[in-house]
This record gives sequence, C-alpha cells and structure tokens, in this order.
Amino acid sequence: MIVSFIINLYKNDMKPLTVLGFLGSTLDAGKFDAGRWNKWRPSVSICMQEDLRVDRFILLHGSHHRRLAEIVAKDIADVSPETAVVPHTLDFDDAWDFEEVYGKLLDFARGFPFDPDAEDYLIHITTGTHVAQICLFLLTEARYLPGRLLQTQPQRGAPQPVGIWNSIDLDLSRYDSIATRFAEASAESASFLKSGIETRNPAFNRMIEEIEQVAVRSRAPILLMGPTGAGKSQLARKVYELKKLRHQLGGPFVEVNCATLKGDSATSALFGHRKGAFTGAAQDRPGLLKSADKGLLFLDEIGELGLDEQAMILRAIEEGRFLPVGSDSETRSDFQLIAGTNRDLVEQVRKGRFRDDLFARLNLWTFSLPGLAERREDIAPNLDYELERFAEREGSRVTFNKEARERYLAFAEGHDAKWQGNFRDLAASVTRMATLNTTGRIDVGAVDLEIKRLGTTWHTDKSEADVFDRILGRDQLAEIDPFDRVQLAFVVKTCRACRSLSEAGRQLFAASRELRTSTNDADRLRKYLARFNLTWTDLQQPVGGYR
Amino acid sequence: MITIDGSEGEGGGQVLRYACALSLLTGEPFTIENIRGGREKPGLMRQHVTAIEAACVIGGAECSGLAVGSNSISFRPGRITPGDYHFAVGTAGSTALVLQTVMVPLMLADAPSRLVLEGGTHAMAAPPFEFIERTLLSVINRMGPTVTARLVRHGFFPRGGGRVEIDIAPAPLRAIECVERGALRRVSATAIIAGVPFDVGDRELKTAAKTLADWPADAFGIRQLPADQGPGNALLLEAEFDHVTEVMSAFGKIGIPAERLAKTAARRIAGYLACEAFAGPYLQDQLLLPFAMARGGSFSTVKLSQHTLTAAALVERFLGAGFRFVERPDGAIMVEWAGS
Repeated sequence: MIVSFIINLYKNDMKPLTVLGFLGSTLDAGKFDAGRWNKWRPSVSICMQEDLRVDRFILLHGSHHRRLAEIVAKDIADVSPETAVVPHTLDFDDAWDFEEVYGKLLDFARGFPFDPDAEDYLIHITTGTHVAQICLFLLTEARYLPGRLLQTQPQRGAPQPVGIWNSIDLDLSRYDSIATRFAEASAESASFLKSGIETRNPAFNRMIEEIEQVAVRSRAPILLMGPTGAGKSQLARKVYELKKLRHQLGGPFVEVNCATLKGDSATSALFGHRKGAFTGAAQDRPGLLKSADKGLLFLDEIGELGLDEQAMILRAIEEGRFLPVGSDSETRSDFQLIAGTNRDLVEQVRKGRFRDDLFARLNLWTFSLPGLAERREDIAPNLDYELERFAEREGSRVTFNKEARERYLAFAEGHDAKWQGNFRDLAASVTRMATLNTTGRIDVGAVDLEIKRLGTTWHTDKSEADVFDRILGRDQLAEIDPFDRVQLAFVVKTCRACRSLSEAGRQLFAASRELRTSTNDADRLRKYLARFNLTWTDLQQPVGGYR
Repeated sequence: MITIDGSEGEGGGQVLRYACALSLLTGEPFTIENIRGGREKPGLMRQHVTAIEAACVIGGAECSGLAVGSNSISFRPGRITPGDYHFAVGTAGSTALVLQTVMVPLMLADAPSRLVLEGGTHAMAAPPFEFIERTLLSVINRMGPTVTARLVRHGFFPRGGGRVEIDIAPAPLRAIECVERGALRRVSATAIIAGVPFDVGDRELKTAAKTLADWPADAFGIRQLPADQGPGNALLLEAEFDHVTEVMSAFGKIGIPAERLAKTAARRIAGYLACEAFAGPYLQDQLLLPFAMARGGSFSTVKLSQHTLTAAALVERFLGAGFRFVERPDGAIMVEWAGS
C-alpha cells in the first residue's frame, strides 16, 4: 500500500497561525549569497523560531520589491516548510504619508477575510516605515486587524540570523498587573467623582462607576437627570476635574442654569453677540459656548431652554459651530457638554416643548441621580462630608456628641424625613446646626430643634391636615367618610384663605356661577358646612402651631 | 495507558521520540506530562511537533495536545502503514531525529517504505547523515532489515533545506552480538564547507591533525559543496573497523573558532580509538530500540549516557523487560538483553 503525505496536512490541536507584515526593504534585504544567512532578517527570522510555527505569512510589499519578496519567500520555505508565504502587493506613493498609508491599510484590513475563530493572527511591526508601523499598531488596537502585535529583534552579541520574538496583546485586561492598576485607578476616579464620600447605596455606586468609564473614554454629551439638589452640578464639576486631571480637557468649566436665561438675552448669553447687534450691545460678547471652548459646558435645567436655543445648541454639539447674534460668520467652539434636568424630558418632547432631535443627541449617556431620600444609607457619610466642608469653609470644626448624632441620623434616615431639597437640605441643615452652635459640639437639644425646623420646611401639607384635625376634632373626623373628607379638607382650606363666606363661595362654585344655575354661593356653602356642624366663624379661629 | 514525566532523565525531545516509537511498536498508548520541563523554553518545539506528527502519520495514531509550546500530550497508536512518506522539518531541525522516531516501526512493517526527509542533515545536537548511514544503518542491516540512506543535499544550521532519501525493506529482527570492533581499517578527516571561506576547513584539519598525529596525511581532506547549499561547515572524523564504523562530528557556528570545535571532535574520536568498546556514546542509545525489539543480543559500549539510561527505562515501561548493564574489566560496559 503506497500512501503519500505532506506533513503539514496532519491535523493537530494548533489553531493555524497567520503572520501579517511588511517586507523590510532594508532589513530583509542582503546580498544574494550564502552570507545573507548570517544576517538577521526579521521576516525570515520569524519563521526560524523553534517555538513559533507560522502556517501562513501574508507578506506586504511594493511592486518594485517583488524580486526581494521572492527571495525572502524562498528562504522562508527552506527554514520553515510549514509556512505558506502569500506575497501581497501594496503600493504607496509616499510610504511616510500617514493619511495614505492608514487609508490603504484600512482598505486592506476591511477586504481581508479574517476569521479569528479559526485562525490566530500576528501583526509584525518591526518592518515597514515608522508610519506603516504606527498604522499597523492603530489598526490592531482598533481591532480592524484582529490579532496580537509581533515584534522581532536581533539577538545581542555575536551576529546570528534567528533573533528573538515576542508578541504583544493589546487587550490590556489580559495583563494581571496592568489590570490591577487600571482597577485601582478606576476606583480612585470613582471616589474622586464622589468627592471622596464613601457612599453605600449600591445603585448609586454602580452609576458612578459607569459615569467614570464614560467620562474617561468618551467625549459624547452626558445627560444628568434628577431632582433639584441631587448633586447634578457638583457631579458635572467633578467629571470636568477628572477629565482635566487625565489631560482630556484644557479649557474651563462653564456652568449655566438655563432657567435664568430668558428671551433674546438667552441667545446672546449662550452664543454671544457682535457689537451693535441690538440696543445695548455695546461690546462684542463671546458667549458661554465660546467661553467653554476646549472645556466643559454644564447646561443645567436644559428643559427650560427655548426651542430656538435648543436648535442652536444641537448644531453646536454636532458641528462645533454656531452663529452669534448679529454676526454673519460662524464661531467655532469645541466643548464637552453635560446637560442637567429635573424635568421628564420624554414628557417635554411629547408636549412639543423639547426638540426630539436634541433629546436623541443627549440621550446617549443618561444617568438618573436619585434623591437623598432614595439613598438613606448615604446620609451618614454625607453628613460627615458636610461637617468637613463646614470646617474648611468656616475654619472651625464642629462635631456631634454620640447621642445627638444617633438622634439626628435616626430622623434623617427614617421615613418622616422627606429631604425634598435633597443634598441642599442636608447641607443647609448641617450649616444651621454648626453655625448656631457655640461650643463646637452639637448636642441633643440642637438636633431636636433642627428636626423641628426641617419638619417646618417639608410638612406644609401636613400642617393643613393638622388645622383640619383641630377644627373638627378627632371624634367627629372619625365619623366622616374618607370620600367626604377630601372634599371637606379642600373647602376648609379655601375658606381659611378667603376673607368672607361670599368670596369662598364664589371660588368654590365658580363653574356653576358661569352657567348661572346657582347665584347664592354663600348660602350654598353655609349649608354644606352645616352638614358637618361647622360655621364660618369656626373656620376663622386661629389654630396655633405651624403656619 | 503509560504516564511519563517528560522532565525526568534526559528530559528533552528524545523521551518523546522514543515513547512514540515504542508506543507504535507495542500498541500501548501513553501520556507525557511536563514535557521538557527543565529546559529554558519548556514544552514542545517545532521540530518535536514535526517528529510526533510523523509518528502519527505512519502509525495511524491520534495525539491530543499536539501544539508548539504544549506541555502535555496523549498519544494513542493505530496501525502502522508502510508507504511513501515525505516529512519536512523546519528550523534546520534534524532529519535524523525524525528518522529515529519512525524507522524501527517501519522496518518491522509488512511492506517496504520510502522516506523523503527534508531539513537539517548536519546540524547541532543531532547525529550527521554520515553517522546514520555508516554507523547506525550498518548495524541495523546486520539484524535483518535493509535500510539504505542517500544524501541528496546537505542541510546546515540555520538554513536547513537538506534532503535525505531512505529506503526501508522490512524483515524480522534477529539478535546479534556486537562485542568486538575488530581491526582498524581506515581513518578519515573531512571538513565540509559550503559558502564559507576555504580557510575555515583548512584550520579545522590542521587542528585535528595535532591531536590525531598518527593519522596519515592523505586521510585529511576538504570537501567543498556548491555555495548555494550554504552557509555551512562540518568536520567529520571517521574510524572504520572490521565490525563497526564510528563517526565523530563538529559543526561550524558563528562566534566559535574553527580550532576549538575541531579540537573537541578530535579528542572524542581519539578517546573512542583508545578504548575497546564497540559502540560509541551516540550509537549506544540508538541500538537499544532495535535490540529490544529483537528481544536479545548484546553490545559493548563506552560510559553510559543520560540518553541511554532514559531510553532503557522507557523500554522497560513499554515492554516489561529490559537491559542489563555489566562493566567489563577493561572499563567498557556490556549491554545485554535481560528479558523479563
């Protein structure tokens, strides 16, 4: 039985390896005599490594180096019968022209039938012009070339042809020590974004980690949603500082609350104007967008912006250009945008008050900052942070005594604390306690007073209910159906706000009045109140307590 | 299933080649772990992969884990199929080492085979073609089979590209006694040069002649090959006796002076000439496999090499029987099949 085999057809456990690289017009060249074998020639040396088996070598070369490519291919066949050399002609008008080289290599990479599941790839970057090497690096990093980089170099000491090789995986997560450093840096940045506050709310911490990644890797707009005082402005400033630390931004931080911008002056404030554009435009004004050039623009309450300004902002984000008021030439500004809003922008878009195209542009990286009430576990660390801030600001350190701190936190973390103004409320609360204190130590008494004050701030609805309680009395209230109670509460509230029975009647029966079905509103109201044994006078008495 | 620790004994590629050959001959599968464990670059190198692939091809074997850099393989032999085979070794890896893996299995097959081997023929860390042809095959051919080798083209480090053709006519192996080497018939010192200065060969011969002062002047000669087979240089020192021929060699390498390598080779052949043993240090481990398959015979040899001890241990694991080593009064070692 006669069988013929070529050794490389035997199936083994190796994924075939393809090397892609330029023919080195200098390094791979040499006199065509035996002496060339004493010289290190990178392309040939790749195939002389005892621990590297190359199954295919895509050898890129210019047309005028065809002869050299043939010699190199033949020499590779000697030292590496396992390797199939595939010469590929790639001509550059100027191999040092970045644009041309990158463009042609990108075309090559897009057209090449890579199959990373079935084959491994090594991209040889020792040969070719430096520009070609940079382009190969960039294309590999961008994964247009789905492989590892391959570097070769001659061995030190006596000249010898084999040299040494090493491969570089640009997936940095594969290197343990680098990955650890990245994780540390990332944790540091996240902590930086949180101003060093050891927040415990898992959802908030996860969101900060995401913002950190987006901030470091992207220049796209970021949209911060959340109620007033949730910390949007502070976070935007921290993102700016982080990007500045990483040398990703050079310009300033420009913050503007769109709610404060109205009408023509809004356009002028944002986009600037030329001298004489309108009455009072005595000077050129660059505008906030121009001021934010190379920096970060934080547009808070972006939902308050007029539709015209929204259109201009969109163009400024997308093209980096806008037209100042009264100018006939566009101005350029390259800024990173962070927008803040406490409104539901989806709803605003539905009502036609916010442009859907601008919303779509902003809605790439959207983060919802929870209010303080949804992050009760973060109140304690934020309390310490506020005390620290107070100390820095005022130069005097104030602390809680143990009992007082426990009392305050029990209230602050409990469900009675509404934290309607979020961090703003907490900051104000700490400032009050610290300022009113003379001993440097906040005690239980001070905390109790502060809890009362906070109650006053938040519990306006509840105080109405208290008035209602006092007027009717608990026993009588218990006999009224909840169905009636709501109506009665509104009637009581209206009556107490009005100067006379008639005025209250007019307000309460306004619709009937229009239709002229009833004319004696005062009488109608009196009868209604009588059903609950109430008179106008009952409602006018002062009830004390909160008002 | 036999499990082998690849770092034990000689701890290199020899363990792999010997284990593959023994596995094909006995039908016993094996697993080898920690391949080349103590070496600078551990795991399988390209030429090892090629040798194992060759064993797989001629023996219908399956091998898992076979990849460059692999630290462990499992080899399951199949049926040996004689025929025409063409194996090419990269990195100027030795054709002799591929032959070592497949020759004995093929010479015990039921039909002749013809091998074309490409790669290194005169490269470091492996016996040169002349050793295979004159030293090893002349003993093999006395055991029954007829194996002939032809050097078509030289292959030197680093280029390789050499070509050797082998014809194997199988026959049952018979046990033979190789105790006496007989009378010295002829000596020769040949410096082969290809694409390197003539002067290199000249200096090698002059240096060798100093150590081998009693060799006749006409025993020394330079053989110049076409430059396109080079660059390459080998010094071959040959001593032909009635019953055995020994070939010692040295290979030129950049950075190593011709004088130094010639002196080393000359001292080796002089050392062999000074003793009485049949097999020199490189023949001894190559004889173990055919003698083991013959289940008998004996030979005398010089001090045992690590390769030989490793090969003897593998033979015992696969065959359950082995060799006995007895020192003779003259210092030579008698290697005898001891059976089980």
